[in-house]
Amino acid sequence: MSDYLLEMKGIVKQFGGVRALDGIDLQVRAGECIGLCGENGAGKSTLMKVLSGVYPHGSWEGEILWEGKPLRAQSIRDTEDAGIIIIHQELMLVPQLSVAENIFMGREITLPGGRMHYAAMYKRADELLRELKIPELNVALPVMHYGGGHQQLVEIAKALNKNARLLILDEPSSSLTASEIAVLLDILRALKARGVTCIYISHKLDEVAAICDTIVVIRDGKHIATTPMAQMNVERIIAQMVGREMSQLYPQRGPQPAIGEVLFEARHVSCIDADNPQRKRVDDVSFSLRKGEILGIAGLVGAGRTELVSALFGAYQGPCQAEVWLDGQRIDTSTPQKAIARGLAMVPEDRKHHGIVPDLDVGQNITLAVLGQFAHATRIDGEAERMAVRGEIAQLELKAASPTLPITSLSGGNQQKAVLAKMLLTRPRVLILDEPTRGVDVGAKYEIYKLMLALADQGVAIIMVSSELAEVLGVSDRVLVMGEGRLRGDFINDGLSQETVLAAALAQHPAPAADTAYKEPAA
Amino acid sequence: MKAMSVKQLFTQYKMLALLIAVALIWAFFSWKTQGSFVTPRNLSNLLRQMSVTGILACGMVLVIIAGEIDLSIGSLLGLLGGIAAVLDVTQHWPLALNLAAVLGCGLVIGLLNGYLTAYRGIPSFIVGLGGMLAYRGILLGITGGITIAPVSDPLVYLGQGYLPALPGVVLGIGLFLLAAFLTWRSRTSRAQHGLPQTAAWVDGLRVLVIGAVLYAFVQTLNDYEGIPLPVLLLLALLGLFSYITSQTVFGRRIYAVGSNMEATRLSGINVKAVKLWIFGIMGLMCALAGLINTGRLAAGSPSAGTFSELDAIAACFIGGTSMRGGSGTVYGALIGALVMASLDNGMSMLDVDTYWQMIVKGSILTLAVWVDVSTRAGRR
Repeated sequence: MSDYLLEMKGIVKQFGGVRALDGIDLQVRAGECIGLCGENGAGKSTLMKVLSGVYPHGSWEGEILWEGKPLRAQSIRDTEDAGIIIIHQELMLVPQLSVAENIFMGREITLPGGRMHYAAMYKRADELLRELKIPELNVALPVMHYGGGHQQLVEIAKALNKNARLLILDEPSSSLTASEIAVLLDILRALKARGVTCIYISHKLDEVAAICDTIVVIRDGKHIATTPMAQMNVERIIAQMVGREMSQLYPQRGPQPAIGEVLFEARHVSCIDADNPQRKRVDDVSFSLRKGEILGIAGLVGAGRTELVSALFGAYQGPCQAEVWLDGQRIDTSTPQKAIARGLAMVPEDRKHHGIVPDLDVGQNITLAVLGQFAHATRIDGEAERMAVRGEIAQLELKAASPTLPITSLSGGNQQKAVLAKMLLTRPRVLILDEPTRGVDVGAKYEIYKLMLALADQGVAIIMVSSELAEVLGVSDRVLVMGEGRLRGDFINDGLSQETVLAAALAQHPAPAADTAYKEPAA
Repeated sequence: MKAMSVKQLFTQYKMLALLIAVALIWAFFSWKTQGSFVTPRNLSNLLRQMSVTGILACGMVLVIIAGEIDLSIGSLLGLLGGIAAVLDVTQHWPLALNLAAVLGCGLVIGLLNGYLTAYRGIPSFIVGLGGMLAYRGILLGITGGITIAPVSDPLVYLGQGYLPALPGVVLGIGLFLLAAFLTWRSRTSRAQHGLPQTAAWVDGLRVLVIGAVLYAFVQTLNDYEGIPLPVLLLLALLGLFSYITSQTVFGRRIYAVGSNMEATRLSGINVKAVKLWIFGIMGLMCALAGLINTGRLAAGSPSAGTFSELDAIAACFIGGTSMRGGSGTVYGALIGALVMASLDNGMSMLDVDTYWQMIVKGSILTLAVWVDVSTRAGRR
C-alpha cells in the first residue's frame, strides 16, 4: 500500500511516430498541490488527458494507480466518478444557462418525470458558492452575466459538486485579472486545507510558486525533476523548464533607442457595447505614438484595451468612432482592409478564432494578407510565395518542418509566430499586438520580444496590449494604463514599478498630470 | 506500412476510394443489365444526364467551401431555362442574344442572393429557401404553368449536340499533352525548391493512367456519336474551376473565408465581396445548367430543375467537401455527381421503382457522409 493518492508510472503516449510522453512518472500525495510546469509542447496537456481519461486506457503505455489500485478509465466519466476532475483552460460553461444549471450540468437533480428540481439545485448551488466565498452570485442568472473570474469559480463549484478529490486546473488564470487571481488562489488554499488535492498548470510561475507544495517539471515529454517548492524559486523552475539558465526574461534595448517623431495618433476613440447601447467600452481615449516606440497598454480585464485597438484597426464589432492620424494625415481605418492598406497591422488576442485559418497550411496562412502581391494577372506565383514564406519562417525562427504542414499541427508559440509573420508581410508602419505572448512558452516569448525590439529599431511603431504587467514593463518604452474604458495614466517606462501601474489601473480618477506624457495635439 | 490503419489509408486516398466506388457501381449495373449499362450509347447518355448536376455542383462546391449553402439553385435553373425557352419560342431571339440575356439574368440573381447573404446578414439557408419558392413562382408566372415548346434548333443543339470524332481525338491528345506538361512542370519546380519528390515511376504511371482514361473516354464516346456538348462544357468548367480554386488569389480566399471568416477579415480581406462573387458564379452556373437543360428537353418546363439543388449538394458532400466549410475539391464534387448520375441511370435501366430509387440515393448520400465523417474524426 502506497502513501500516494495518485501514482502515474512510466506513461508513454505516441502520436504516429512521435513520442509526446516518454516515460513520465508523477506521484501525488493526498492534500498536496502539485505545480506542473513545462514549456508549450512539453506534454503537460497530453499527460492530463491521459490522467483524465480523454485518451482511454490502452491507447497509452504505463500504469496509473489511484489510491493504490490500477485505474483503467475508458472515458472522462470514469475518472470523474473516481473523483478526478479537470478544469480546462477554455471554460466549458454554457453562457445562456444559469449558474445553477451549469453547476449541475449532466448531474441534474430531478423530480419524477424528469422535471428539473430547481429548488434543490438552487439551494445546493448557493451552499457551494458560499463555501467558495462568493455568495453574491445569483445562481438563477445566466452565467454570461458574470466575468471571467466568477465563471472560473463557477467551474470550480461544478467540480466540487462532483465530489472532486483531485482537481486539475489547466491555465486557470490566463484570462483573470490580478485581483481575481488572488481570490482564486485563496480559494485553492482553502480547498487544500479541506483535503482536496490539486494539480496546477500555469505559465505564470509566481502563482505556481505561491500555491504549490511540490514542483514537477517536464520537458520534451520527459520527467525532469520533482522538487519541494521550499527548495525552489521562479528562476530555478525556469531553468529546469528550458534546460538552461535564463539570465533574463526580456531582451535589452540598445542604449539609445531610436525613437523618432510622432508617427501615429488616435483621437477621441469611443466604443459602445454591441449589446448594451448604454455601456461605453471605450470612452474618449486619445494618445499618440512615436516612430520606433513600443507603447504598452496595461489595465485590468474589461478595461477596454482590446476594444480600443480593435477600433483603431476597424475590427471593433459594434458602434464606435475613432479619428486615426498617420504622418499628420487623417486616415480611414474603418475596416481591417483599409487599415492594412494604410500601414496598420494587428495580431489579435484570440489566436484560435481570429488568428489562424485552420484548413490552410502554414505557408498559406502566412501569405493570406498579401496574396495579391504574388499574383500575375490572376494566377498565384507559387515560387514567389514560397520564397516569401521561407524568408518569414527564417526571420521569426518559426519551427515548422515544412511550410506545407497544417497550421494546427504547430505549437501555440509557433502558431503565434505564423500570425505575426502574416502581419509583418504587409510591411506595417504601426503594429498592434494584442496579448502577443498568451499561451506562448518562455523560449518563444523571448524570441517574440526580440523581434519587437528589432522592428522598433527599424522604425516600426508598436502598440502592445498585455495583461502581464511584468511583460508590459519589460519591453515597453512607454505605458498607457486604462481603466473602465478611460485613459488612467501615461507613463514613460523609466524605472516604472508594477505598483504604480496597478494603482493607476485601479484608481477612480486619472493619474496626476505630472505623470502625463501625453499632450493633446494641436488640432 | 503495416502501422497504417485502414482509416488512414482511406483518408489519404479518399478520391481513389470514390473512384473505386464508381467502378463497383458500374460493375454491378453491367452485371445486372448483361452489359448494356456499359455500351457507348448508354455511357454517352449517362454523362449527358450528369452534366446538369455537374455544372451546378461546380458552383455549389465553392459555395459550400465558403461555409454557405444555396437551396435556390434548382428553382433558379428552372427559371433561367424557362426564360431561355420563352425568349426563344415566343420572342424568337437569336441564340447569341438569348445566351447573353440568360447568363446576365443568372449573374444578377446570383449576386442578389450573395448581397442578401453577405451584406445584409441573412443566413444563406434562408435566402436559398426564399429563393427556392420565389424563383419557382416567377417561373410559373411567366410560363403560365405550361411547357414552352418547341425550342429552335440552335438551342436544342446546345443540349443534344455532339463534337465530331476528329476534334474529339484532337482534344483528347491535347489534354494528354497538357497533363504530361503539368506533371513535368511540377516535378521541375519541386526539384528546384528541394521539395520531396514523388518517385518518377509513380508520376509516369499517373500520366499513363490519365492517358488511358482519356483514350477510353474519347474512344467510347466516338463509338457512339462523339463527345456530347454538355459534357464538353462540363470538362471546360472542371478545368476552369480547378484552376480558380488551386491557382488564384480568389480561390485561396474562398477556402480561407470558409475555414475562419473572422481571421480572414482581420487579415484585410473583403470577405463580403468574396461571398458576393461566389454567389454570382453560382448564378452563372444556374444559367448554363438551365440552358443545357432546356436544350436537352427541347422545351422549357415549369417543373424543370425540381430537386436538382439536392443532387448538386449531395454530389459535393459525396465528393468529400467539408460540411463546416474550408475544404473540398471541384473534381471531388464531379465524381460525386457521377455517382449520383450512375445510380439514377442504372436503376432506371433496371426498371427500379421510383420510390426505391429515392431510398437508395438517400441512403448512399448518408452513407458517404458517414464514412467521410468517421474517417475525419480526430483530425480537427
